[in-house]
Amino acid sequence: MQKNALNILLADDDEDDRLFFKDAFEEIKIQTNVDFVHDGMQLMDHLQNPGNKLPDILFLDLNMPKKTGKECLIEIKKTDHLKDIIIAIYSTSSSEEDIEDTFIQGANIYIKKPSDFNTLKKLINEVVTVNWHYHTSGLNRDNFLLRLK
Amino acid sequence: MKWIPNFNSSNSLRVIFVIAVFILLFLSSIAYKHNQDLNESSKLVMHTYEINIQLERLMSAIKDAETGQRGYIITRNARFLTPYIYSRDKVNTSFITLKKLTADNPAQQENLQKLFKLIIQRFVSFENCLKYSDPKTYDKRKLDNHMFGGRILMENIRFKVDEMNDMEKAYLKKRLKIYDAEISLSPLFSISLFLVALSFILLAYRQISRDFERMKIFNKKLLISNGLMAESEIIGKFSTWQWDLDTNKIDYSDNQYRLLGHEPNSFVPVRETFLDFVHPDDKEVVSESMDGIIEKKNLPFVYYKVMRPDREIRYFKSTGKILTDQQGSKILLGINFDITDEHLLNIELQERNRELEKSNKELASFNHVASHDLQEPLRKIQTFISRISDADKTVMSDSAKNYITKIESSAKRMRVLIDDLLLFSRTNTTKKEFLKMNLNELLDNAEAELTEIIDEKRAVIKASKLPKLAVIPYQIEQLFINLIGNSLKYSRPGVEPEITISCDKVNSSDYPEILEQSVKKFYKITFTDNGMGFDPQFKETIFILFQRLHSKTDYPGTGIGLAICKKIVENHKGHITADSTLNKGSVFTVFLPD
Repeated sequence: MQKNALNILLADDDEDDRLFFKDAFEEIKIQTNVDFVHDGMQLMDHLQNPGNKLPDILFLDLNMPKKTGKECLIEIKKTDHLKDIIIAIYSTSSSEEDIEDTFIQGANIYIKKPSDFNTLKKLINEVVTVNWHYHTSGLNRDNFLLRLK
Repeated sequence: MKWIPNFNSSNSLRVIFVIAVFILLFLSSIAYKHNQDLNESSKLVMHTYEINIQLERLMSAIKDAETGQRGYIITRNARFLTPYIYSRDKVNTSFITLKKLTADNPAQQENLQKLFKLIIQRFVSFENCLKYSDPKTYDKRKLDNHMFGGRILMENIRFKVDEMNDMEKAYLKKRLKIYDAEISLSPLFSISLFLVALSFILLAYRQISRDFERMKIFNKKLLISNGLMAESEIIGKFSTWQWDLDTNKIDYSDNQYRLLGHEPNSFVPVRETFLDFVHPDDKEVVSESMDGIIEKKNLPFVYYKVMRPDREIRYFKSTGKILTDQQGSKILLGINFDITDEHLLNIELQERNRELEKSNKELASFNHVASHDLQEPLRKIQTFISRISDADKTVMSDSAKNYITKIESSAKRMRVLIDDLLLFSRTNTTKKEFLKMNLNELLDNAEAELTEIIDEKRAVIKASKLPKLAVIPYQIEQLFINLIGNSLKYSRPGVEPEITISCDKVNSSDYPEILEQSVKKFYKITFTDNGMGFDPQFKETIFILFQRLHSKTDYPGTGIGLAICKKIVENHKGHITADSTLNKGSVFTVFLPD
């Protein structure tokens, strides 16, 4: 495990997506530690376990078994020591409802899962290199859904 | 109360009759009095004559005595003394009669007393004459004195009798005069009174016959309206009932019996009868509302079930009201509607509504499947294809590379199709929030979305000033994107696209066939291009879902774009039309309500 590396956690039940995600992080030239959990319950257990280092950025799928991404989001934002984690929603859905809900519940950014590997790399790169302290203060509904320039 | 014709005359008739009866009573009492008076006066006359006769008898008796005495004195024959002896009795009889007759008259009594004294003196004088004429006691001087005295007494008696007769006559005259005065008034007066009474009665008769005519007319009207009512109750499946709260009599209309499954008038309703028909579930509600109506004077609709004798269940709706008629008696008026048909229809409608809701839910879940689950594998196919690097491709055969390209374009097309379908269904299902928006602003957004292709085709878009309207902003933006995008896509090869957007305010009455007439004004926004156009025979069909005029190899598309446009315009209660000349250009016209 690298010391100054960013801690990334992906909560997604889809094995293929986890594979793409892992490959994408390997190909971008940023030092990261990437962890995976397979469902909402596992995610909450991981976060509540004091032995685990808290992630800098949590990529959160919405459609997960046992506990959905939205439930996890609400729970995280209610928990004092977890509420400052940067949360990037990472979902197939691009429905207005999902975007609106997660924005209101305090997610930092919304990424629609791309259908192109290169696009995925670019999106991940964008999210990881953003200065989150600056970005959060200027967060609004228009730039919540991440679009590549 | 309008429904009761006003026969006010009945009161005035009563007054007229009372007056006439009083006049007649008065007249008959006058006649009675008149009769009494006549009786009295004839009695009076009789009375006077009787006194007169008795007095004359008295006189003649005395004269008889006088004559007898004279005869005796001259002849000394005792036979002449017989009338003299009888005359005393006659005088007494007459006197008693006279005393009786004048009992009510003190003046005459007094006269009678005086007369009586004179008569006694006369008889004393007779005795003396007889005494002094008797040869045994003859005294010529004394005889002469008494004979003379008798003569004077006789004159006094005559005088007194005349006086009494005169008095009686004067009395009679006076009384008759009084009666005459009383009676002389009455004939004229009573005739005029009789005439007045007669005219009152005639007046009353006229009023009665007039009322009778009116009554006949009202009766006819009543008959007609009764018939109409009965018919309309049958047609309208309702019935009425009246409950006279004073007499506690309940009347059902004919149709009420029918609605309850009986022949008209087949039973006599009482208060509890109706409740017997009400379904056991609803008895309490109906009973309460019937009690409530008396307190509250009217009743909101009450809904309940009725069970007919053949156990058929009917659904009823009832209401009622308390009316007070001219005589002040309270009548509870009720109306029942048989709403079974409506009720069953309603149930059927609710059933269908539930089915619709169910199918809507299914559609929504299909949406979810399409948006999430169908996209998931497709996205992976595309991502895996994108992972095939150029290095991988160099070791592939040409045909394999060709297949990969085909898979890639098919997956891309599948993605567009799913996206468009989702867009189409979301146009319907997502919440429709109307905001007052400047349409020019939305047009700018649409152009910004299309910048890439506008630049690529070097298109010129000229827009006039558009209005501010209450619209669903993202949908109108989508409409503009689709219409402009359509024009750009079907531009003529080698001709730079030119799109003109203009706007007019028009009256809906100018487009009666296509516009909602309840809204007066519409904005007519036209999109005119110089593209390749289409055969005008397709101007209706191009708005139908999946209808395409070109092969997908020439012009890739899903046939959903214009269907979305139509749906958006319909969501705004507007209308969209298209027209075109092949190879000249197309015109799309959007009507949006003001």
